[in-house]
Amino acid sequence: MTSSEILRLLPHRYPVLLVDRVVDVVPGESLTALKAVSANEPWHTDPGDFPSTLLVESWCQAAVLLSSWGEPDTGRVALIGALADVEFHRPVAPGCVVRHSVRVLDARGDAVAFTGESSVDGQVVMTVGRVVTTTRAVADLRPGNLDS
Amino acid sequence: MTGYLASPVQVLERSGTTVVARMSVAPDDPVFAGHFPGFPIFPGVAVVEFAHRAATATGALRLAAVESARFVRPTLPGTTLTVRVTWDDAVRRCAAVVSDDDGVVARIKLRYEAR
Repeated sequence: MTSSEILRLLPHRYPVLLVDRVVDVVPGESLTALKAVSANEPWHTDPGDFPSTLLVESWCQAAVLLSSWGEPDTGRVALIGALADVEFHRPVAPGCVVRHSVRVLDARGDAVAFTGESSVDGQVVMTVGRVVTTTRAVADLRPGNLDS
Repeated sequence: MTGYLASPVQVLERSGTTVVARMSVAPDDPVFAGHFPGFPIFPGVAVVEFAHRAATATGALRLAAVESARFVRPTLPGTTLTVRVTWDDAVRRCAAVVSDDDGVVARIKLRYEAR
């Protein structure tokens, strides 16, 4: 899957569009996506590694690609509802190509639970025990319409 | 830093194993251009980052795990977030409760290792 197809499925845009390519997908089951980390990203104006919490965001975007794969545009957006047992094993620096592996654990109504890991050059950099996403109607989230 | 936590994290209080910090999420934070166009929402992972920065404001620790995070409500532009971080005695694990003016936004547990 190319970048333009990712743009069609994900509402995320610069500076937080954090998936570059989907290399493998079994709809409803699993997906593998790549994220190339660049020193040109805005957070790297400070020295250091790619922020761990953004690695989680990047992985979650791969998860949303999986759950929205082949689905028509429903006017809803997936938000992270909960994270559990997300472990960071190695730093990720500019120049790394991160391979996210995402698997569906279960899906009930709006809530989808995922598990998986991320690796760089065959070495695991992050394991994700469980991420649960829920969806909200985009119309309800536009400024002035939000009641929460 | 630009683009991710553009606003400073201000430590308000530190006593024993507790840290309280605050951050105002600027309406023009660059993250909102992409999250999301037309309906700006502060990313949940940025709320976790805020808790992490408050937790590590005093020492160099490596974030080893997000043991858990539960997001109760979305955070919108212009919101002032407050976090209360409570460390365990070994200063390796902490619980963070993030709130806005209307109540709890997220409950987060983080684990750390020495650098």
